[in-house]
Amino acid sequence: MPDLPDGADNLARAVALREVCKTRWGGRFVPAPATTSGHERLRCHSSEVCDLCAWLVQDVGYIFATLVAEERMEDGVTLTYVFQQDSSGSWLDVDVLLDPHERSVPSISPLVHAADWHEREVEDLFGLHFEGHPRLGEFVLHEDWPEGVNPMRRDFDPARALEHRDEQAAWAAPTIVTAPGAFAMPVGPVFSDFAESAQFLLETVGEDVIHTIPRFFYKYRGIEKIAEGQSTGRVLLIAERFSGTAAFAHGLGFCQAVEAILHCEVPRRARALRTLFAELERLRHHAAAITAICGSTALAVANSQAALIEEELLRLSGTVTGHRYLFGLVVPGGLARDLADEHRPLLQAAIGDAAGKLNALYDMLCVSSSFLDRLEEVGVVTAEKAMEYGLVGPVARASGSNRDMRARFPYAGYDTAKPMIPTEHEGDGYARLRVLFREAEQSAALIHAVLEALPDGAIATEPDRTRAGAALGTVEAPLGAAFHWVRLGESGLVERYRVTPPSFTNWHGFHLAAENFAFQDFPIILASFGLSNAECDR
Amino acid sequence: MSMSAELLLVFFLLCAAGVAASVVAPARSGPTALAVIGAAAAIALLATGAVLMGVEPGFRLELWSMLFGGTMALAADRLSAVLMLGAGLVFLPVSIFSATYLRKYAGHCDLRYFGVCYFVMFAAIVLVFIAGDALSFLAAWEVMSISSYLLVTYDLDREGSAYGGFVMLALGEAGTIAVTIAFILMVIASGSLQFGDWRAVSPHLTEGVAWAVFILSFAGFAVKAGLVPVNSWLPLAHPVAPTNVSALLSAVIVNLGIYGIIRVNLDLVPVHGAVPGLIVLVVGSVSALIGILYATIQSDMKRLLAHSTIENMGIVAAGIGATMIFLASNQPVIAAIALIAALYHLINHAVYKALLFVGTGAVEAGAGSRDLDLLGGLVRAMPWTSAFVLVGVLAISALPPLNGFVSEWLTLQTLLRSAVLSSTAIKIIFALCGVLIALTAGLAVTCFAKVYAMGFLGVSRSAGAADAAEVGWGVRSPLAFLAVFCVLLGILPTYVIPVIDRVAYPLTHASALPALVPPFFLPQAQQAENLPPAFLAEFHDLGAQTGEGMLPGRGLVVLHRGQASNPVVFAMSTSYMVVALAVLLGLVFLVFRLLTLGRRTVRGRAWDGGLRRLWPSLTYTATGFSNPVRVIFHAVLRPTTIEDSTEAVATHFRTAIRLDHADVPIIDRLVLRPPMSGLRWLAELVRRMHVGYVNAYAGYVLLTMLVVLVIGLAILR
Amino acid sequence: MAGWVIKGARTGIRSSAYPAGPETAIGVSPGMPGDTAVDSPSDAEGLASLCPTGAMTAHDVSVVVDRGRCVHCFRCAQDARMPAVAWDPGFEWATYTDAYQALHAAFSRSLHIRFVDAGACGACMSEARQVNNPYYNMHRLGFFITPTPRNADILLVAGPVSDAMRDPLRKTYAAMPPPKRVVAIGACAISGGVFGPSYASAAGVKDIIPVDVIVPGCPPPPLAILHGLLLVAGRKPPAPRSSLAARADGRPE
Ligand code: SF4
Ligand code: SF4
Repeated sequence: MPDLPDGADNLARAVALREVCKTRWGGRFVPAPATTSGHERLRCHSSEVCDLCAWLVQDVGYIFATLVAEERMEDGVTLTYVFQQDSSGSWLDVDVLLDPHERSVPSISPLVHAADWHEREVEDLFGLHFEGHPRLGEFVLHEDWPEGVNPMRRDFDPARALEHRDEQAAWAAPTIVTAPGAFAMPVGPVFSDFAESAQFLLETVGEDVIHTIPRFFYKYRGIEKIAEGQSTGRVLLIAERFSGTAAFAHGLGFCQAVEAILHCEVPRRARALRTLFAELERLRHHAAAITAICGSTALAVANSQAALIEEELLRLSGTVTGHRYLFGLVVPGGLARDLADEHRPLLQAAIGDAAGKLNALYDMLCVSSSFLDRLEEVGVVTAEKAMEYGLVGPVARASGSNRDMRARFPYAGYDTAKPMIPTEHEGDGYARLRVLFREAEQSAALIHAVLEALPDGAIATEPDRTRAGAALGTVEAPLGAAFHWVRLGESGLVERYRVTPPSFTNWHGFHLAAENFAFQDFPIILASFGLSNAECDR
Repeated sequence: MSMSAELLLVFFLLCAAGVAASVVAPARSGPTALAVIGAAAAIALLATGAVLMGVEPGFRLELWSMLFGGTMALAADRLSAVLMLGAGLVFLPVSIFSATYLRKYAGHCDLRYFGVCYFVMFAAIVLVFIAGDALSFLAAWEVMSISSYLLVTYDLDREGSAYGGFVMLALGEAGTIAVTIAFILMVIASGSLQFGDWRAVSPHLTEGVAWAVFILSFAGFAVKAGLVPVNSWLPLAHPVAPTNVSALLSAVIVNLGIYGIIRVNLDLVPVHGAVPGLIVLVVGSVSALIGILYATIQSDMKRLLAHSTIENMGIVAAGIGATMIFLASNQPVIAAIALIAALYHLINHAVYKALLFVGTGAVEAGAGSRDLDLLGGLVRAMPWTSAFVLVGVLAISALPPLNGFVSEWLTLQTLLRSAVLSSTAIKIIFALCGVLIALTAGLAVTCFAKVYAMGFLGVSRSAGAADAAEVGWGVRSPLAFLAVFCVLLGILPTYVIPVIDRVAYPLTHASALPALVPPFFLPQAQQAENLPPAFLAEFHDLGAQTGEGMLPGRGLVVLHRGQASNPVVFAMSTSYMVVALAVLLGLVFLVFRLLTLGRRTVRGRAWDGGLRRLWPSLTYTATGFSNPVRVIFHAVLRPTTIEDSTEAVATHFRTAIRLDHADVPIIDRLVLRPPMSGLRWLAELVRRMHVGYVNAYAGYVLLTMLVVLVIGLAILR
Repeated sequence: MAGWVIKGARTGIRSSAYPAGPETAIGVSPGMPGDTAVDSPSDAEGLASLCPTGAMTAHDVSVVVDRGRCVHCFRCAQDARMPAVAWDPGFEWATYTDAYQALHAAFSRSLHIRFVDAGACGACMSEARQVNNPYYNMHRLGFFITPTPRNADILLVAGPVSDAMRDPLRKTYAAMPPPKRVVAIGACAISGGVFGPSYASAAGVKDIIPVDVIVPGCPPPPLAILHGLLLVAGRKPPAPRSSLAARADGRPE
């Protein structure tokens, strides 16, 4: 199958896709501009979705990005399988429209494994059945959730209190290992010192863990449901706050989707500053991740050194933006607060200082053999698996992938301030640590570059709020690609908000790294993935 | 006839009565009859032993004269007596336990058959102890071997029963053959079957014969004693045997092997030089370590206990080896200490191992399984059994103040006395063996902590364990009996040691009493035994005379006395320890009570991290508990993964992972497998010759004739 | 390894002067809108209407802020058409709830804390974690984190209490031996924040277990959390109520 030409403009791409489709499918699927702005669209019947998706991924070079299910007033559930093509920087939606009574769809995840968790989520939240999916245990909704209640359905009232089932006695651990003396070590949901709520069953016969069964969505707050029918201002609060350590990135993702729908042009200064703040957030986030890794290996001095850097960056953020986690900064149309001129030298100096300290820390860590012993060859994710699972962010880049939304689908000011994308190939804990350090270095460099060429002008335009439509806002959050799919109704209220955060994508592949390891390495594997449950569970 | 002989006659009559009763008694009352008569016989045996220990040093009965080699004779001395005591201590409670235990066989196995074998074996065991000549010894030995084999394979329905019994019989017979050859050598050398005559000629044996006798007899007896490398039968036979037979196997039968070694290699034909002693010491130490290593990784309680028997017999053998070496190096007192340690451990092991086997039987009856992975939490449902087993577990872990501690302490400290030896090489070997035994002791704690923690504490890991029921007094009373002896033998060593000293004296020609338990309580004896005043003063300051005037005996402190420059090498007192522990625990309890006075106790559920429910499958299993040992000793254990199947849907979703592994014991792997596969290979070769064609066979005939012809010609030449 | 020792020694002591003295560093707190006097009732109404969470209520010519509802969106401070809100740059915001009972003085210098994430967004967790870092170093004040609630005196909870965390939270609280105190940190844990109440989250921790001390903020900065802990220990007074608030609800200051 011919690949679609690189760098072709939208029209040429559309024509090329049409040609390819015609030769392969005999004109059965006709690409058309999607309802999502800027995307191509293929409509197909649910019986053909497997063939089509498998073809797109295996032959045409598309990557599965996300699955958006939507139940609109007039018709049944629409499933939109969103694919991205990194080589051309283009998007393709595969739309499957189900009849109102249709409850069953073929599962694409045996072929496109990255869709696994997406299908399970839709199954729980919309009550659809994905044929051919083995459904390994409960997913978003836990056992005590009332039977047959699917919260993302239109008829579900989010304000209604639920009647929980009492499943205390019936719950059994869904273990899969059979071996003499095998048992499972339960970890969580309340565990460790400051751990996010999640549960892991470490299946073992003692000493070595054979298999890990993660259990998430303890923190499911249903943000996609409670966003429905709300104003963009209100949803922005939620977008920023469902994962506070990546607040700016997710706020930006949401705002970009809204801006795309409203055809709002963001001023140059705002775009540059968005880049600056996104990188500041990434730098701080990575410093925190490094702190956690040092802490997990019980290297006390390194841990506190990294913690000092993290706190200094938090204070810097607080000083220049007013909020330590950059809350309330990004708004549709630009930014709510400007970077004060007197803060520029401070920012420059502090970023240089933090980068220098991180460098020094890295140099020391690299020669601490007891530290490296605990990271090297621990929690390995191979490049093939990383691709198959569609992993994103630093985790993927430590396994040889160079996926990065900033480079592939530039937004904000990344078209001019181009980041260098560091990759490593071992896929182990140490590779992930190195990626974190090198990305932090890159972020500092980008901040300097932006400050150097910071345009003057307004920091926001007032968007024209009369338009309706849907758009996908994509950002490279600190942990990887995040997809914010937004539909605005005629009234300007949010009708559907679907977030695919990087933690959701990457937790899916976590079990790959958590196989056949020694008990004491578990915190290290966990820390080297550095994922957020708040972000994953939403 | 002397009193002891009369008592023994009563014993044999009771055994005969037992055989008769087993045949005629109706199946329903068979077990009860067995228990009553067995217990009576055991009491008669204990009485015999006690008389021999106390008033009569021995007896000799000439039965009838033989064509060759003098008369067939029964002769008992104090070595026989101590083993009789050991056997009696075990047979008494085990017989009582059998009354309850055997009921489960009623209906589908022939209980008469069991009873006959039981009493025949009992009588044969005692006959081995009192055989006065080679012929009666071997005859009794054979009867004992075969009757025990029949008992082990009694329940043929059990998986592995045939194989386990076969390995036991085959190895046992190989051992018997080795012993027989050794005896034949001695008969040739002495011209007599009488053990008494052997003693006379043994100093004059040629080097070669002495060595041959040592090697053959030690190897032969080592089979029964379960020492490496001929121990494979133990872990195979125990799990398949009925539990009461397992108890006898581990607590009595293996002792016969040790008895044989002591009788032949220390008494009748004492070994020359230090090298045989070193061999026994090394074999013993290695047995101890290997035994406990395999015990630790087992989850079947019986198999675990069987491996632990190998360990304990190893410790005993190490003590005997030390005795031989110290004797050869002219240190009779330390040799006597070593022998006392060995015999003490022999008795202790018999008591606590019987306790643990009967306890296993109780667990099996109460919870329906003896797999530690499927037990757990029994302490709530079976408090009595748990308490008694706890005593056994503490004893076998050699924790003070129980009996296992005393004898293991003595053995270890004796090994550390190698400083008095002159040869550096021997010192090094002693030190290494000391390390092995110390490591063994450490692993034993791990192993039996696992037994108790995984079997009796925590959550129940199976339905059977969850609904376990306490056993009746028919099982509890033997447990209690044995537990009491574990405690008594532990806290009263200064009363036990003088008794065993009487056994050791004729063999080492030195009394260890003044060195081990100096008479702190007896001023006259102090003078008689020439205790230096400075030494006494030092010990008086420590309070060693506490209890003087009130208590009989020689004191409550066990020690190793050294030279004048270093009067006390080691010392300990479990008797005082028990008082101190009681006081301390009482104080802790009191303080705790005072501190929590007027407070309400709230019982919460175990903290589970907020889990929806803490399932038994989410807690440690016995296998998991001992897995670190498995990992550390991977080089020795070399477990092989025999199955590794992972099932996946569309190569991604894993739905099942199945793992299993097999441990071939290192001895089987290194010692038994190579000759076995060699034999197989030969057999295969022979089989290939059987091609089934007439011409081929004609060819073989022709070939054979040709060879014969050539040989014949050569000879004629 | 020696390198690390030297590195640590050369870094020196970085701990905050708080609570013995004032904290002078910048960027340690985002500040919070305070109760504000305005010129007219309509200004008060206008200002209060800016708040998306209903944290501000207009009382005649003043606006009173319910700190437990404020999520630091800065919207009340950024609208040029409205009167400026009085911005409180501090961090001592923690107060008691009605359920609060003082701890025995014996506990005041050694308190063990169990943290529970009941659906917090990560920022609250991050700030709670910072309390342990060298800048804030709560160990110097006698506060320690413990992995098991069995040893804990204080339960520190962040998040609105998501549906699946109700049970674990209850279990953790039940597993703590008395005397025990609960500190809710962050707008979510106090009032549900921007998430609750809804089908998937409660309106804060008080819906599930009794709360003794609340620490407002979204997220409350580390020093605010420290203030909350010191409040439980009886070593700092609660945030004072302004005269405006007192006048508004008719209760004395
Ligand atoms: S900062 Fe936002 S939430 Fe807080 S009072 Fe102002 S408007 Fe309300
Ligand atoms: S209060 Fe704010 S920072 Fe804390 S968990 Fe809630 S949204 Fe996050």
